[in-house]
Amino acid sequence: MEQNFIKPPVEVRYADQLAFLQNADSQNRKPENWKLSPKSVRLFILGGKAVNPDTGETMDINRKFYGNDALVERCIITLAGNRGLMLVGEPGTAKTMLSELFSAAICGKSTNTVQGTAGTTEDMIKYSWNYALLLSKGPCREALVPAPLLIGMEEGIFARFEEITRTPAEIQDSLISVMSDQILNIPELGDDGLILAKAGFNIIGTANTRDKGVNEMSGALKRRFNFETVAPVRDVKLEKEIIIREAVDLAKNGSIECEVNQDVAELLAVTYHELREGITAEGTMIDKPAAVMSTAEAVSVYYQTLCHAWYYGDGRIELPVLTENLLGAVCKENRDDLEKLKGYFRTAIKAKSTKMGGIWKAYFETASFLK
Amino acid sequence: MEQILSQQNIAEKIALNFQNQVVFFPVRHHSPVCSYQLRKTIEAYQPEIILIEGPENANDLISVLTDEKTVLPCAIYYFYKDKKKYISEDAEDYHCYYPFLNASPEFTAMKEAKKLNIPAKFMDLPYSEILINSQKHQQNYADDSYLVKSRFYQKLCEKTNLRNFDEFWEKYFEIAGLRLSPEDFIRQMYTYCILTRQDATKEELDSDGCTAREQHMAFRIQETMQNYQKILVVTGGFHSWGLSELLKSKVKPVKLHKFTEDIQNCYPIAYSYQASDALRGYASGMMHPYFYDKISEALETADTPEGIYHQQALDFLTKTAKESAKKDIAVSISDITSAYSLTEGLSALRNSPEPGIFEIFDGVTGAFIKGEKTTASSLPLEILSKLATGEAVGHIGDKNHVPPLISDFESQCKKFRLKANTAVPQDSEISLFTSGKELEKSRFFHRMDFLQTEFCKMTKGPDLHANKDRSRVRELWRYCRNPQTDASLVDHTTDGSTLEEACKTVASKLIHQEHRCEITAQVSVDCFLMGITLSDADTFLMEQILANDGDFFSLGNGLYYFDMLHALRILYDFTDTANLKYMEQCFTKLIALLPSMGAVQPEQAQECIKICKLLYNVSGRVFPERQNEFKSALLTLAERDQKEPSVYGAVMGLLYALDGNYLQSAENAMQGYLTGSPAMKKQGASYLKGLFETARDIALMDKNFLAMTDSLLSDMEYDDFMEILPSLRLAYSYFTPFEIQEIAGEVSEFHGLKEDLSAQTGLDEALIAFGAELDAEIFRIIRGETA
Repeated sequence: MEQNFIKPPVEVRYADQLAFLQNADSQNRKPENWKLSPKSVRLFILGGKAVNPDTGETMDINRKFYGNDALVERCIITLAGNRGLMLVGEPGTAKTMLSELFSAAICGKSTNTVQGTAGTTEDMIKYSWNYALLLSKGPCREALVPAPLLIGMEEGIFARFEEITRTPAEIQDSLISVMSDQILNIPELGDDGLILAKAGFNIIGTANTRDKGVNEMSGALKRRFNFETVAPVRDVKLEKEIIIREAVDLAKNGSIECEVNQDVAELLAVTYHELREGITAEGTMIDKPAAVMSTAEAVSVYYQTLCHAWYYGDGRIELPVLTENLLGAVCKENRDDLEKLKGYFRTAIKAKSTKMGGIWKAYFETASFLK
Repeated sequence: MEQILSQQNIAEKIALNFQNQVVFFPVRHHSPVCSYQLRKTIEAYQPEIILIEGPENANDLISVLTDEKTVLPCAIYYFYKDKKKYISEDAEDYHCYYPFLNASPEFTAMKEAKKLNIPAKFMDLPYSEILINSQKHQQNYADDSYLVKSRFYQKLCEKTNLRNFDEFWEKYFEIAGLRLSPEDFIRQMYTYCILTRQDATKEELDSDGCTAREQHMAFRIQETMQNYQKILVVTGGFHSWGLSELLKSKVKPVKLHKFTEDIQNCYPIAYSYQASDALRGYASGMMHPYFYDKISEALETADTPEGIYHQQALDFLTKTAKESAKKDIAVSISDITSAYSLTEGLSALRNSPEPGIFEIFDGVTGAFIKGEKTTASSLPLEILSKLATGEAVGHIGDKNHVPPLISDFESQCKKFRLKANTAVPQDSEISLFTSGKELEKSRFFHRMDFLQTEFCKMTKGPDLHANKDRSRVRELWRYCRNPQTDASLVDHTTDGSTLEEACKTVASKLIHQEHRCEITAQVSVDCFLMGITLSDADTFLMEQILANDGDFFSLGNGLYYFDMLHALRILYDFTDTANLKYMEQCFTKLIALLPSMGAVQPEQAQECIKICKLLYNVSGRVFPERQNEFKSALLTLAERDQKEPSVYGAVMGLLYALDGNYLQSAENAMQGYLTGSPAMKKQGASYLKGLFETARDIALMDKNFLAMTDSLLSDMEYDDFMEILPSLRLAYSYFTPFEIQEIAGEVSEFHGLKEDLSAQTGLDEALIAFGAELDAEIFRIIRGETA
């Protein structure tokens, strides 16, 4: 069944690991209503060997988030406290993935989500009404359609609020009273309308730093969150590993049986890393494109190339296709980015092709596709 | 991890029994837990003597460091001058610091020994011998670099998911170690240090002097064993195993050299927390020393170590919030609560009984930073970092051991109410000429600056060296006492017992090294600013340097400075009259050399003209009776065959300024250029430039002169004119716009023009409006439009 979904929720994808950790968690302290203890949540996200102290069974838990381990620990402790967690950072830095991992590990449910947009309204966050029932029975519990915030409060689980800063400020502020008092008042229900949040309820928000200033959060709302800035992966080797791991997962889900090419993954990791940092490994300064140069984008470029090789080729990755996909990923909004990408090939890739030859030479020869 | 550290079989390589004659207590320098466990060990072992790692030539200073009036951080400053080239052919000077904080186990050992009335001694090689026996030279030899850099620790950090050695150390030793018995703690340290030492090769140990040092320390221990039955040996953990192995057999002494006190010595000096912070380049310490000093302080007075880190976490979070509020960063009580619960939660998650400094930083990161973490929003982290590092500077209590220069420095700081007990930079503004005390304060700063103590730097004020901002009447100094200040003063100990004496000696040394007048004149400027009069012998030497210097430009620059100092002497209340003597000497020599300067190279011409003008000024203001000598030197120069045209022009201008009768000579010279070859004509422009630089009124007073200039330019070919145009432009830049207008008027008359060439009347506004209207009409007609 699982294979039929494009992207199954985290709790489905890692059901075996979560179940094992839950069984092995008997000796750890955990906050009320949490499925896993903070220590097990940490293990689930950062990986390691899990041991069931009762049975002696072990399981290797794979690392799911690469980067700052201390950040993950701070997030877990924040979620156990009385403040919400706000993950901010550049696009493609795995904020959403991290918030899904926390929700799945702690609440067993990562889908209780509000997607913030300019059109998000308060009823999409709190609750709305089934108007047919409302008209026939009047305001009653049956006619109430709970939204993620209400669901979170009633079930004692997390409500995830994606891209919160894309939502109008007054809608964002509707969270303030709930976060302060942990109470949601539904006046239409009279005495039954006072919903108290169950233990375990909390909010994880994500905000994109590129959206800064679109709908700046109010000071009052900020005070109710602890902020964590998720930075892009700075280590090329790690970035390569992530590209390979994610591409393998995507290929598996898409029933693509191509072999992952380590050299191409490295090439892509180096390209993204250098364009993001504005400096090459050899110390040459280069122009940074305005486009988002995230690891997620690199994974997407790699996967597209893999798909092309599977459906149109002989299953082997072709560098001209990779370069074309790279072009499509980098030159989206700004025409200047094309010149920057060309410049990068003319300086950095040319230098690498002269120095290292091999795949770098072949990569440099694809520069003619940049147009 | 706990299992590794508690492995008995590894720790057993070093015998530990409180009944033994020797007990090794391994430490990490400036570690509170080591100090705490050391106190407990001393209580349990009751040693008869404590031997401490540290150069033994500082043994006399132990009582100074443990003096009740001494305030830490302090350091022992060692220096060695390799005059006999034992280390290298370069015969360099070497120095290093051994800092002591309240948390330092070495200091605890000394303090406890004093309490128990038992001897405490340093047992390491003297500083000079450490240097001689090693190939790498460090700023400090109380070194934890082996503990920090070993591959073993790197693996440990990876395995334990800790960010770096300091986090590892804090978790497994500083916090967890407080809950161990002294024996268990020592064994845990043994295990860790033995495992770490296995990484070090014999070559590494030999090259950094470790082998020789351990041999000497072991020898001293064996020596002590003959007289004492219970010896506690306090060394860096890395050495414990090495020493215990050496003690198994008879140790030969390391051959020691004999040095006098001026070659090798040590002094106690005030030190700062900032300097002892491992993050700021001091490889041997703990990072955030003030935080750990506070922990150590609390451990000393508390009945139990439980809760001490909790308390400090709360204190530091509160202080950070307060300091953040001062910088307009709103941090509420709720934020502090949230940060505190974050630190507590993190320590539990990380299996640590209490939160350490890393958890405090995490708490501030999570709860105090609102929004994206950027350089600007990370200010609370910066504040916490500063607080945890500490800003205080120590103080040596026993004045008998304080080097006299430091004593003088401190008393002057007190006199001028300068804050010498903080490492935070301070500003001091001085109104130079309002009172004698202000001038004295300025001299004090200049003296400290002259001795290169890094104590102060003038940020605003008259710069007599560069001849900048001389009209300023205030000086603004930024000052801050740091270990380098004390170290520099110690280095100058042999130069004098007061700052004045030291400056005088250093100035004298500088003069002895110099042979050029212009450099010694700069030293005179320094002396002037410092209010220092050179000795008769140095004055005589200055005169000799001046007499032997045959460089016109060096003497000219020297004269400039001496003249300036002579002119400012009353304002700066400087009574020494030597500068006048030097001036006269320079003046005499310059006049003698002047005639030969006619043939100076073009690139030096401007400098030469500047000196000629200076000589003219000085001869008018200071030596009027010698003006004729100057005039005769100018005449001699003018009569020479080969002359640089601009210098020649300047000389003719000066002659005209001295005596109006030389106008004709100046004109004749100009005529000479006019009637010469095309090449000579081109030189005419340079001549004019020199002339106008010294006597520009000649062009305004004398119509004849202007006529000649006009003729020179009119007869010139276009290309030649273009070639000399830059020089001409420069020549006329000496005139004001009004004067140029006057000259233009005169020249226009030569060409029969009545109007001033340089001035044009503005167009009539109505005429412009009419023209615009006419244009519009024409365009309309062209486009075929009708009105």
